[in-house]
Amino acid sequence: MDEGTIYNLIPTEPVKKEKKPRYNSKFHQSVKEEYTSNNADHKTMGQAKVPVPATENFLKKHEKEPKLPNKDEFHYPDEKRRRPPVPKKDDMPLMGLKTTKNFITTNAVQTITSVPRKPEKIYVDTRKGDKHYLDPSGLEPLYIHRKDYGNTPEYLTKRKEEIKRAQEEYNAYVAEHFRKGSMQQLSEEERQFMLAGLKKNWEEIHDQYQGLSVVTDTAPKKNRKERMEAEMKQLERDIESIEKHKIIYIAN
Amino acid sequence: MSNQHKDVGDVAVDVPRLEIDSILGLNGKVHGGMKVHPNRQHLIYPLGCAVVIEDISTNKQESLWGHTDYVTCIGVSNSGKYIASGQRTHMGFKAEVIIWDYEKRKAIHALTLHKVKVEAVAFSPNDLYLATLGGKDDGSVVIWNVATGESICGHPAQVESAGNTLCLAFSNVNDNVFVTGGDGTLRVWELDLENRKIRPKEVTMGQIKRVITCIEMADDFETETGNPPFFFCGTTTGDVLAINMKTKLFQFLGPEKDKLSLGVTSLALLKTGEFLLGAGDGTLALAKFIKPAEQIKKATPSMKIIKKWKDPENKNRASAITSIALRGIGHQFFVVTDNSQLYKFNFAEFSCELIKTCHSTTVHDVCFPYGASELIATCQYEEIRIWELKGKKELRRLKVQNMTCSAIEITRDGKKIVSAWNDGIIRVHGFDSKSNIVERITGGIRNAHTKGVTAVACTGGKGTEDFRIISGGGEGLVRIWTVSQVYNGKGEMIYKDTLVETLKEHKGAVSCIKVKKNDKECVSSSLDGTCIIWDLVKNCRSQIVFANTLFHCVCYSHDECQIITSGTDRKISYWETYDGSMIRDVEGAKTGAINAMDLSNDGRYFVTGGDDKLLKVWDYNEATVKAVGIGHSGNITRVKICPNQKFIVSISEDGAVILWKYNF
Repeated sequence: MDEGTIYNLIPTEPVKKEKKPRYNSKFHQSVKEEYTSNNADHKTMGQAKVPVPATENFLKKHEKEPKLPNKDEFHYPDEKRRRPPVPKKDDMPLMGLKTTKNFITTNAVQTITSVPRKPEKIYVDTRKGDKHYLDPSGLEPLYIHRKDYGNTPEYLTKRKEEIKRAQEEYNAYVAEHFRKGSMQQLSEEERQFMLAGLKKNWEEIHDQYQGLSVVTDTAPKKNRKERMEAEMKQLERDIESIEKHKIIYIAN
Repeated sequence: MSNQHKDVGDVAVDVPRLEIDSILGLNGKVHGGMKVHPNRQHLIYPLGCAVVIEDISTNKQESLWGHTDYVTCIGVSNSGKYIASGQRTHMGFKAEVIIWDYEKRKAIHALTLHKVKVEAVAFSPNDLYLATLGGKDDGSVVIWNVATGESICGHPAQVESAGNTLCLAFSNVNDNVFVTGGDGTLRVWELDLENRKIRPKEVTMGQIKRVITCIEMADDFETETGNPPFFFCGTTTGDVLAINMKTKLFQFLGPEKDKLSLGVTSLALLKTGEFLLGAGDGTLALAKFIKPAEQIKKATPSMKIIKKWKDPENKNRASAITSIALRGIGHQFFVVTDNSQLYKFNFAEFSCELIKTCHSTTVHDVCFPYGASELIATCQYEEIRIWELKGKKELRRLKVQNMTCSAIEITRDGKKIVSAWNDGIIRVHGFDSKSNIVERITGGIRNAHTKGVTAVACTGGKGTEDFRIISGGGEGLVRIWTVSQVYNGKGEMIYKDTLVETLKEHKGAVSCIKVKKNDKECVSSSLDGTCIIWDLVKNCRSQIVFANTLFHCVCYSHDECQIITSGTDRKISYWETYDGSMIRDVEGAKTGAINAMDLSNDGRYFVTGGDDKLLKVWDYNEATVKAVGIGHSGNITRVKICPNQKFIVSISEDGAVILWKYNF
């Protein structure tokens, strides 16, 4: 089914073809400035008044021919840089010096004895023989031939050691610091000892307390009894608190 | 009917006004409503409650506000200084006539004497007096002093045995003489200023009985038939009567045979003595009275019709020509038809150009194609139209005789227009390769709803996949349809509809349906005071919202977690879609129900419009009015923000489509 949509109704403005700007020669201005029409100014009517040549200015030989500039001598541009020419065959050697060296044989010998040049390593990737150097290509195994191939790099072991050392130092520092700042712990023996001492004190006071008279009639008696009771109570409280806590720290 | 002035007063003064970009509207039903101002540069015509002054060359429009109901007649003074316009109103109330100062575009006098309706107004040639004619419930003629705005005198327009008086015309030369005509009555009146009296004289018609619809004065110039002063009357019989003004005697009529069908509805006299006759069937004729040959005694002039014209688009339909307005002396003239079309004619070539096609009745719905702001589709009685917004031109029109389209929707791919009609049919139209509108489902989906289809929405339909239509009816049902492509017996691809589900929850007419972006949920509002959120996957109700109102519109918020509703209680309510609880309740208008609502694409603003004729732009989060658009002269029926958020389009009951600039 051929279906249109409502969107086809949206009016479209016809696209105006953009006209190229009119061609203007870039020489237009200069031509305009330079052009002066002196050609055939007086072609139809002639000049209004033709100046008559004076008798002394008669026409001379070649006067109407154009005057040419003087001819310049030609020089090559590199003339000054050129090396002096090779001596001719029949030139006399300078100061009569002559060498006895047999250049032909020495050259031959040199060539024969020389080690042949190693050809550059290349690879070719197309039928037409487009060659590329092998060295920068990465195709040649370079790194597995290195001496330290497969070993942990030195810098890594160094760094590992450094880290280890730093960690140890830090641990030591922390332990030290902790030790300095920490509270002292009461050892088990000290605690037992303290407990025993307290209990002994209590028993002593208790004995005395048992030995008090039944009647407390005077003020000193009463005072004494009350003091003893308070002391015993305090001791009982201390004993209890020490017994209750197994671990005791002493704050400094 | 609410008062426009009061409405404007409701709005806080500091709220900025929305700027009108253009108004597409013209009330073509007003007889003689189109006028050309004597400066030849402006058209004056009625639109709902307003009088619009439009520049002919630039199309710039200005409106004169002041009437409380539809304008029924317009008169322009000969000097162009004044405009008078009359209105109708409810039974038992007084209808105003307003005299406007043309230069200042301001009302000078409001004249209140006529009951219910003002039938016609006319200025005297030197702008001294204004004659106004009341409607059939009033039946009186009143003469007013234009300068002071005071009534001079009044008189019953016709004798009791005669029918209604329909038209009124002042003499072209004499400030004290005017003519009224109507059903079996034709009177020439003379004003006696000193005694404050107008005295009628019946025109002697002899055996002829006519209903006069329009009068054209010719007492200031000589026609070929001689003997001024004449005046000419167009009749419902389809002929033109010539009456001698001095003797008050009927002289002659024409055409004798081949009368204009459906009567002469408008008449214009040119300086050449030729007539432009507008007929009830939409024919425009150029005619002339020809002097009889001298030899024949007692012969009367006969009318010869020189040219006839009828809109080729409207060949088979009668839409009366309601006014013919001459520009200057008539080298150019404007013709308005009953269906609100405005033609511009060049007299010399008799060539015509259709310059305006406006909605002639209530515009019920407007919608944009998805993502395109250049086009809108609108619908009214019998018609669906597609407009191009930039050129304000109508591109396509679809007609279904005698039915009213109450809602339209365009599918996502833009290939189909789904429309809801009051005969209970959902019609689906598409476009052919030349973008003409063609029917896609032959005969539409019949018997979709028993009390007419009132709301419609679409889901899916991207590419070749099936699409679903969700429709709501006047009886309260919400139905879901699937439209799929199948092959018929001839091997042609056709569309076929199947009913998927009938959801029977609403008790009143469904007013609005909106679908979520993911097509899995929709919300429908109903006049029974409920809004229901439907699950489109399970095809069942998921939430319901109750309020003591008739819901007219509903909208999803941008994130679709909330809906906003409004209706006759003039409140804008925000609701949670998850549990249907109310979040917020704001008063949306002071005087009239809210009919329409639309959320902008970015979700920050929404617009509302309603019976208070005001368009309001709201901030969604703050629920405060950001701008108010004053310009509608009828109840606003639907509002839409264009997808690229450049314009707001609002439509109203008077047939106007207003484009507002939206700059938020």
